[in-house]
Amino acid sequence: MTGWVLIVDDEEMIRENLKAYLEDEGLWVVAFEAVTPALNWLMDGGYCRVCIMDMRLPDIDGNTAIRTLHRLYPEMKFLIHTGSSSYSLPDDLRAMGLDDACVYQKPLGDMAPLAAVARTLALRENRL
Amino acid sequence: MLDRSPQLNLCRLRNLSTDPGLPAGAWLARGFALMLLMLLATIMIGSAASHPVAESHHASPSETVSKMNAPSKMLHLSLWISMPMALIVIVSLLWSWMLRRRVAHRTWEIQRELGERQQVEAALRESEVRFRNVTEAASDWIWEMDENLRFTYLSERFYALTGIAPQHVLGRARWELAIIESAADRQKWRQHRQMLEKRLPFRDFVYRTGIGNRHGVDRYLKVSGKPIHDDQGRFLGYRGTGTDMTEQVKAEAALRESEVRLRRIIDLVPHMIFAKDRHGRFLLANQATAAAYGLTVQELVNHSQRMVHGIDEEAERMLADDREVIESGASKQIAEESFTDHTGHVRTLQTIKIPFNEPSLSETAVLGVSIDITEQKQAKEEVARMRLYLKNIIDSMPSVLIGVDPWGYVTVLNQPAEQVCGASWETAQGRFFGELFPQLESQFDQIRQAIRLGHPIKTPLMTLEDHGELHYADVMVYPLIADNASGAVIRMDDVTARVRIESMMVQTEKMLSVGGLAAGMAHEINNPLGAILQGSQNILRRIDPAMPQNCAAAAAIGIDLGRLNRYLEQRRILHFLEGIREAGARAAKIVADMLSFSRRSESRFAPVNVEDLLETVLRLAASDYDLKKKYDFKRITIQRDFDSRLCMVHCDKTEIEQVILNLLKNAAQAMSECEASSPTILLRTRYEPQYVLIEVVDNGPGMDEKILKRIFEPFFTTKEVGAGTGLGLSVSYFIVTEQHRGRLSVTSKPGQGACFSIRLPLGREALP
Repeated sequence: MTGWVLIVDDEEMIRENLKAYLEDEGLWVVAFEAVTPALNWLMDGGYCRVCIMDMRLPDIDGNTAIRTLHRLYPEMKFLIHTGSSSYSLPDDLRAMGLDDACVYQKPLGDMAPLAAVARTLALRENRL
Repeated sequence: MLDRSPQLNLCRLRNLSTDPGLPAGAWLARGFALMLLMLLATIMIGSAASHPVAESHHASPSETVSKMNAPSKMLHLSLWISMPMALIVIVSLLWSWMLRRRVAHRTWEIQRELGERQQVEAALRESEVRFRNVTEAASDWIWEMDENLRFTYLSERFYALTGIAPQHVLGRARWELAIIESAADRQKWRQHRQMLEKRLPFRDFVYRTGIGNRHGVDRYLKVSGKPIHDDQGRFLGYRGTGTDMTEQVKAEAALRESEVRLRRIIDLVPHMIFAKDRHGRFLLANQATAAAYGLTVQELVNHSQRMVHGIDEEAERMLADDREVIESGASKQIAEESFTDHTGHVRTLQTIKIPFNEPSLSETAVLGVSIDITEQKQAKEEVARMRLYLKNIIDSMPSVLIGVDPWGYVTVLNQPAEQVCGASWETAQGRFFGELFPQLESQFDQIRQAIRLGHPIKTPLMTLEDHGELHYADVMVYPLIADNASGAVIRMDDVTARVRIESMMVQTEKMLSVGGLAAGMAHEINNPLGAILQGSQNILRRIDPAMPQNCAAAAAIGIDLGRLNRYLEQRRILHFLEGIREAGARAAKIVADMLSFSRRSESRFAPVNVEDLLETVLRLAASDYDLKKKYDFKRITIQRDFDSRLCMVHCDKTEIEQVILNLLKNAAQAMSECEASSPTILLRTRYEPQYVLIEVVDNGPGMDEKILKRIFEPFFTTKEVGAGTGLGLSVSYFIVTEQHRGRLSVTSKPGQGACFSIRLPLGREALP
């Protein structure tokens, strides 16, 4: 398995479908229904290079989660997958290098573009 | 009579005396006749005595005597006797004649003398009579004063004329009779006395006296006099005439008073009253006239209008009018004439001029009265102007205004009302309003009620049928209550457009609330939709035999993926899966459309290159699933007409792309429906002062007015059920007008294609 992709999404079928698709793309994927388990997993030694983050989550808001993760794992790249139509990127997230291209609106009729980006980010040269 | 009387007397005197010439001749003739008779008798006696006597008749008497005989002697003797007798007779006769003649002459002289005296006496009497007649008939009296200047004589006329008894006067001096009141009087009298004392003649001295008056009326006397002297040149006094001036003075005073009164009246009149002669010289002018020329009456009178009037042409025009009146002898009314007064104000006058004849005038003049109607005219013009102004105002009102009397007959129509009923105000006047406006006939009750109650009655949103289309009108009936006339004004406003806009706004509001709701629900809906879409994608992917993982998993459990795939196709499972995917996609689209109705921040606004945007849209259209599948976008010719001046416009790129794509889709769909032979879409951009104009023009079937009116209404669609959401154009309208503050409009006619115009406001970055 190559590449670590972390999916955080409270909607099980979305999580599962994305995981399935990315796994079919040959990526190693781990998915959590909320931020806390994902953080716990990372604290326990988990490792990922790309995080696909939902915004509306049961425990911690997606933006806050990204800020936390970025502080802890500066190398981690983020893609946003949200069902909220009025979502716009906060400026501090833009400052981290995120842009509108990183935002994917639910529902994804075709997961291929997202998968391609995630794959590219996951397989980039490992500097760690 | 008097003149002829001396002659008459003379004749009488002549007849009385005997003519001295004729009696003297008669005596002479008689003497001669007697002498001749005696001579003849002597001769006859002689010849009868002796013949020779006859011869001796011629011889000397001595001879004759000597020769005589006795009888002859007898004869001689008788001859001697008769001869002296005859002589005596002759002489006596002559003497007598002479005497008589002298007597006659003297008599004649005496008679003549007598006649002359009588004549003089008669003349004297005549003169006296005449003088008396004159003095008595004359309005003057005679007075005489002695050397002490006291009255000694007054002719009878004095009493007759003045009513003053002479005894009041005689023996007194004139100044003792006079009433002396003022300093001027005293001065006058002083001079008069000095004159008399110097014994100078004087004329026409007028004074007032209260002596012996009858009715307490003072009398004015005018006297003239001259000093009289006797043969030795001694001063005897004064003699003169006097006249009673009282009536004249009174008349003059009355005349003066009447003139003053007239003067006051004409000066009081604010109109110009004047009289001018044919040369334009003012004979009379009142204060108003003089004031108009900036002069006093004294300054104006006797001056020509040409001299005092500042504007020559006005003066000439007025003088021409004057001459016309003078020459025609008929009055003239000048309804309006301009007159520039001394301050330069142009006044409008109404003038009447009549010929003016007065005994004191040698020729006809003109008398005129001018009334200043400037203000009246201004007021009249103001009323007319006001009327026009009000007419313009009521005409400018978009409302239909109909003025009616209490019985519903039209009195006033404004322009919109004229357009609605197709009749002009003039032709409509007096006709029943229901005849001209059948749609309003039902308002008759409201008119009567409004007039009765005295307040307006409103009928909002009255539905009217116009050429099969439903219209809405607000109708208001205002009662008009003037002094005498009453009536009402019907105001009708076509509010159809407002009602439509209102309903559209209501729907837009609905859409906004839908949008708000959708935004709130989007997350909840998008997640299941994501599950559906992603799930179906994964299913299709994981049964694909081309995927090595699938093959490996299938092989591990002993399934041939190729055969499974055939099975799935055979049972149309793949088709159903595709259906799920498509339905999910459509649901996602509807949610996205509904989300478009929510207002968004402008954070997504950015300068966008218009040409790039349009090219992007064309690329999208070419690859659009719907367009590819249903309308064969490739068949459509795309024309580009881009304004090179345009470059950037400030907008939300994806939204505007969505709008234009939507328009392209509609155009493609419309053209495919009518199967246009050479379907063409023209994309045109233009630079306008405040906007970027983007036009999408097709040559499709076009639309009629009814569709045009409703085309941007939400859920309005001409497509068959299921073909469209009915939201496309309303979303586009919303994006352009609400989110971009632009305009979206459409022009079209059936069979002539359609042209959609998007106007986006130019931002700062709009021009390069």
